[in-house]
Amino acid sequence: MLHMKHDPSTKRPHSFWAFFASVRLAIVLLIILAIASILGTVIPQQQGAAEFASRLSPGMLRLFVALDLFDMYHSVWFRVLLGLLSLNLIVCSLKRWPTAWKRFTARPGPDRQKPFEDVPREQSVHTPEEPQKAAERIGRLLQSRYRKIREKEADGNRFFYAEKGAFSHFGVYGVHVSVLLILVGGLVGSFFGFEAYVNILEGEQTDTVYLRKGMRPLKLDFEVRCDRFAVDFYENGTPKEYRSDLSFLENGREVQKVAVLVNHPVQFRGVTFYQSSYGTAPGKLVDLRIAGPDTQEMAMKVESGRPVQLPGGEGVFSVVDARPDIMNMGPAVMISVKPANQDETVDFWVFKNQEALGRIPGPMRQSPKFNPAVFQPYAFFLDGMETRYYTGLQVNKDPGVHIVWVGCFLMVAGLFFTFFTSHRRIWVRVLGTDTGSRIEAAGMTSKNPVGLERDLDRLMEDIRKKTLTS
Amino acid sequence: MLDSIILSYATFVYFAAFMLYLLAMVMNRDLLARLGTAASLIGLLAQSVAIILRWVMSYQMGIGHAPFSNLYESLVFFAWTLMFLYMIVEWRTKNRTFGTFVTPLAFLAMAYASFSPHISSHIQPLIPALKSNWLISHVITCFFGYAAFGVSFGLSIMYLVKRLDAPEKKNLFLRLIPGQGILDDLNYQMIVIGFLMLTLGIITGSVWAHSAWGSYWSWDPKETWSLITWLIYAAVIHSRMVRGWKGKKIAILSMAGFFCVLFTYFGVNYLAGLHSYAK
Repeated sequence: MLHMKHDPSTKRPHSFWAFFASVRLAIVLLIILAIASILGTVIPQQQGAAEFASRLSPGMLRLFVALDLFDMYHSVWFRVLLGLLSLNLIVCSLKRWPTAWKRFTARPGPDRQKPFEDVPREQSVHTPEEPQKAAERIGRLLQSRYRKIREKEADGNRFFYAEKGAFSHFGVYGVHVSVLLILVGGLVGSFFGFEAYVNILEGEQTDTVYLRKGMRPLKLDFEVRCDRFAVDFYENGTPKEYRSDLSFLENGREVQKVAVLVNHPVQFRGVTFYQSSYGTAPGKLVDLRIAGPDTQEMAMKVESGRPVQLPGGEGVFSVVDARPDIMNMGPAVMISVKPANQDETVDFWVFKNQEALGRIPGPMRQSPKFNPAVFQPYAFFLDGMETRYYTGLQVNKDPGVHIVWVGCFLMVAGLFFTFFTSHRRIWVRVLGTDTGSRIEAAGMTSKNPVGLERDLDRLMEDIRKKTLTS
Repeated sequence: MLDSIILSYATFVYFAAFMLYLLAMVMNRDLLARLGTAASLIGLLAQSVAIILRWVMSYQMGIGHAPFSNLYESLVFFAWTLMFLYMIVEWRTKNRTFGTFVTPLAFLAMAYASFSPHISSHIQPLIPALKSNWLISHVITCFFGYAAFGVSFGLSIMYLVKRLDAPEKKNLFLRLIPGQGILDDLNYQMIVIGFLMLTLGIITGSVWAHSAWGSYWSWDPKETWSLITWLIYAAVIHSRMVRGWKGKKIAILSMAGFFCVLFTYFGVNYLAGLHSYAK
């Protein structure tokens, strides 16, 4: 019954109860939640908020922060809204449950008169059989179609009651309970779980991950080592697949070795690791070439950070910074030369692709900082640098996720039962007449009256057919 | 490629269907309406062939995947689900006036896909995040939801237009629109189907997100807007239980719901451009 009247037998006329038991409130809350959610999509949230915040006036900024608008989905007022909706759900369900239960457990008598009050002629059939025989036939027919069948006999007449789909009354409670389960699951996850990330260079290991909220470090009970990272590319350069071979260690001892790919996470001691991204970091070794006045070009492999003697002995130089890509101009290293007779160093960038410097605007290009031959009489060239991959892993723990999945399953089942099943009840009576029996059928349904009509039509068809042949 | 050629022809076929349905109503000619149905079926068949062809071709290119992975493919699939659902509605109700209000949506989606300079019809390889079995179920359920809400949108417009009709008016077009009761009933059925499909779409999306990134809900614009759509339609479904909310209010709320669908589908791309959310 979709139009539910206010139940006059409610023992609690308390206004709190009445307020939260209304469907109107539910509609209003749903719309308010929708509008509030829209707000969070136009106001940048969390990490993206800084730029937006900087453009606000101090007063506005204070207002935004007070209302927690930069993280509004986790704010107090948003959770209060969700809480109000949950309360509304619970009160509405409690109020309507007794009626639903009554309907489910109702056992109307097979000889009820009321359903037959408006029976159209098509639902009445005459047969020369005795009521007894006709009733046997009908009983079998009903058995094959309906679940619960009850019979009654009175004065030689036979009465049948059949029903199916009584559980359809509970569909809506399934849906509402599922909403509560999902909210509870989400809360459990946010209080007892964490969301973190970590980047691990190939060959290195760590026991510390960084929480997404506030980027605070979190120590795990075990260590994770990235043994190998591999990335495959398509012909057009976009990534095809990336995977990390991980090892999990406890107390220094390797406990498990497993590979993680995108969409294929791995779990260890309740913590789940997801292959999320990757990057390159410069390795330690740089391939340099140095050309001096009298010496030939010398190629050397230099370790970042370690001072190396200049070929002519005028001093030492070291690679102080190495980048695989600066502003799309390719790899570059910063060389710092410390002449023997000076305290000050001469610092300059050397690009692997010197032509790329053409992209720097004129005045800047003349700066000694970009001149690889600024320390006379030497000119430096960068042939290459070792790159190492690091794997970007998302590290999560969510004890509430299973509650959420149960809620989701229940919601789908509940929706199915609410909208696609109905409680159908049929009464058939076999009344003795002078010439045999008159068979009549009538029905009632909680929804989908067209379906009921079709069922009754089919029933009468089959009864009529058997009558003609017998 | 052959598939995109077939699809651009299908665009015109849908336009023809729209014109035929419209003329049928304006001139009250049943023959035109039947031709409209024929055109719709031809378009739907052509689309089906093209989609399967695209699927097969991707495997021949060595980058095999279901054709649901970019804007072009999703627009084509949206038009397909819309017309598929509409054909079922037309068949069950034996009424062709709905075609006038649904085929333009399919035509617009196909036109945008086939002729916009910003959308590429090339078959592209899948990035690692999209390589999942959840892609198929998530896309199919979401788009059937969008399609049902699209039909509901058409029905809501018809409902509001019908209110202009009155016994003394001689407007044939208005007269041919089915009665408000039927429109309201059918609208509700479409909303129920759409709601169930959208629920499944959101759930499959969440399960997929959880297996890819460990987070079944991160309040990003697309997820949030799909929830907003869900909340609006939930309000519509509950509205039927509240007396005094029948008819006009529900038609308007369903239209608001469809605008949310459009925003979830297209609008969020502009949001992410304006405000970049670190993820």
